[in-house]
Amino acid sequence: MNLLTRIATILGFLGHFPAYALAYVIETIVVIIFGTVAVAGMVYLFRKYMARVQIRVGPNRVGKFGILQVMADGLKLFQKESIMPSGRDDLPYKMAPVIVFIGLMMGFIFIPYGQLAWFGNLTVTHSDVSLVILFALIAIMPIGEILSGITSNNKYAMVGALRGVAKDISFEVPMMLSILSVVIMASANVSNPLDINGIVQAQSIPFIILEPLGFVIFFISMMARASFSPFDMGESDSELVTGNTTEYSGLRFGMFYLGLFGTIFLGSMIISSIYLGGYNGPFVGDLGFIWLLVKTLVLVIISLTVWLTMPRARIDKLVTFGWRILLPLSFLQLVVAGFLTLGGIA
Amino acid sequence: MEEQLNSRYVELNMGPQHPSTHGVLRLKLLLDGETVKNVEPIIGYLHRNAEKICELDYYCDSLIYFDRMDYVAAMNMEVGYLEAAEKLLAIEPPERVKWIRVIMAELNRLASHLVWAGAFGLDLGMITPFFYFFEEREKILNLFTEICGSRQETNYMSIGGVYQDFNDKIIFKIKQFLKQFPKKMEEAYSLFIKNDIFISRTKGIGILEPEVALSYGVTGPMLRASGVPYDVRKDAPYLVYDKLNFDIPISRGKDVLARCIVRFEEMRQSVKILNQALDKIPDGPYFNPKAKKSLMIRLRGEGDVYARTESPKGEFGVHLVGDGTVKPYRLHVRSPAFKNLSILPFLARDVLIADMVAISGSIDLVFGEVDR
Repeated sequence: MNLLTRIATILGFLGHFPAYALAYVIETIVVIIFGTVAVAGMVYLFRKYMARVQIRVGPNRVGKFGILQVMADGLKLFQKESIMPSGRDDLPYKMAPVIVFIGLMMGFIFIPYGQLAWFGNLTVTHSDVSLVILFALIAIMPIGEILSGITSNNKYAMVGALRGVAKDISFEVPMMLSILSVVIMASANVSNPLDINGIVQAQSIPFIILEPLGFVIFFISMMARASFSPFDMGESDSELVTGNTTEYSGLRFGMFYLGLFGTIFLGSMIISSIYLGGYNGPFVGDLGFIWLLVKTLVLVIISLTVWLTMPRARIDKLVTFGWRILLPLSFLQLVVAGFLTLGGIA
Repeated sequence: MEEQLNSRYVELNMGPQHPSTHGVLRLKLLLDGETVKNVEPIIGYLHRNAEKICELDYYCDSLIYFDRMDYVAAMNMEVGYLEAAEKLLAIEPPERVKWIRVIMAELNRLASHLVWAGAFGLDLGMITPFFYFFEEREKILNLFTEICGSRQETNYMSIGGVYQDFNDKIIFKIKQFLKQFPKKMEEAYSLFIKNDIFISRTKGIGILEPEVALSYGVTGPMLRASGVPYDVRKDAPYLVYDKLNFDIPISRGKDVLARCIVRFEEMRQSVKILNQALDKIPDGPYFNPKAKKSLMIRLRGEGDVYARTESPKGEFGVHLVGDGTVKPYRLHVRSPAFKNLSILPFLARDVLIADMVAISGSIDLVFGEVDR
């Protein structure tokens, strides 16, 4: 029994259709809250890890071990006056962070979370094409970045947004091609290969073993998407101040900030679902959700380490890398996936 | 106006408040997309009229303004001023003082290069090495606190001597620091040099031919990275540098990477110098009795002297004219960072913004010194 049915059963006195409708709404809210808390936790983890790498202590004042630091920072951002540039294009300027935030949070709805004891299967939406919808939603986020760049009436933001777009486009195609190979391999085993849930079920052997190249390509593209160093040309604080977020302050800046960390968290969740077997794993019984979290955290830590040790690449070299190296490689791994499927290995 | 609107170039103002301009440098960039067409450095935001103030003060009081010139290498500035002042006032420091000054100057050269390395990493988007370098620098500053009572603007040396003598504890502590320093430095250095992205960001960027460098008056690691083995410590030895065994690292790379490598090699040479100096330091008085405190403000000088020393940024020259009174008639400073900055518009032409930042980072600018 999954969480949705359970909530609907409790709400059964409303009748079949209203109960399910309300259950959808409630679970969506629960998942969005989960997403926010997870991202906040990741920010805390990131700051502690970063401090450890850099021979510092990190947050340790607010709450035990500084756990509440992120909350305090959030409250601070919430209280702050939002200083906005004159000559901005008002509506798109205000919409941009919201677009980024919504695009991110909607993404969490389509992740197959797996079982969690009494709560049952936590997945919200069961659609046969959830993979397609998910990536369509994530593709909304760059629109927010572009809007923020061209409407803040700031040259740094403008250059940052242009760089961000160039980078996003050059890594989008390899990313999609590596997903395509996953779909091909999953189609051998399950009837719904475009559903992330189906892909997870298809992985009796995790796809990272069958298709390591695709995993690497997807991981790099995901980090590029999240604007992590060495891919942080959009922000590039030493060249363009903070790029497209230069003119944002207060809660709007907080949304961009959550968007940055949220992307890496969501991306890691997607990777652990489609390459590392998602919620499948030994020893935990009906607590598959824990496996998903563990895999996600490992990926997050790896990408944080990359972030902390790499300098920023130059935009022209990065775009060249995306088009000239990653793209041919992703075609190659697509062919490999095809052969694996034909040979009956996947 | 019409012309500006139709222009394909964008004018972008970088600084004086900008994360990568090392203080208060302002750069007016002319951009064509991402390409920098022209750079116009605008300086003077930290101008404090130090040269004029020095002319209004006694010879012994000017030292603190030199501390505040290159504020990350205050000891080297003090050495530079005292070389000129002692020549003018005809006061020879005792032998032990010369060795102490060499030790302090080399320690501060290490500190200055460490600051440069950290800031250069930040310019390229690396956060972590910054902390590694600054932890080592912090140890040097702690040594300074122990020796002279302050961290950065030390005001340690004085005409004809130093403020406090070294004791065995200090020498032991410096030796202890030097024992662990090379390993820590190499570790952080490997974060730079073993990183492909770092190499791709620095190699072949900002190529400075030796003839051009000489014609612009560029000195220091920038000149040596272009292949010219010019170092005042070797070419016109002052203090006791002629009694020490060290090499002048040069590189034929001429680019940003070469400047990075040369600076790190210089740090290794500084460690070598320090180890020798700590072993060889003689006993003796730590100030010249002709310049004891009660006589300090009565020192009179007449003549025209120019002294040059090797600061971490390059050749640091002090021109001092005395007219027989207790205050200098004219004091002029040849600032290496200022001369090195003049090369930026030449180097940063037709490069990307990212390269421009790397080039300006490789110059090692300290604005206290450029603006004075």
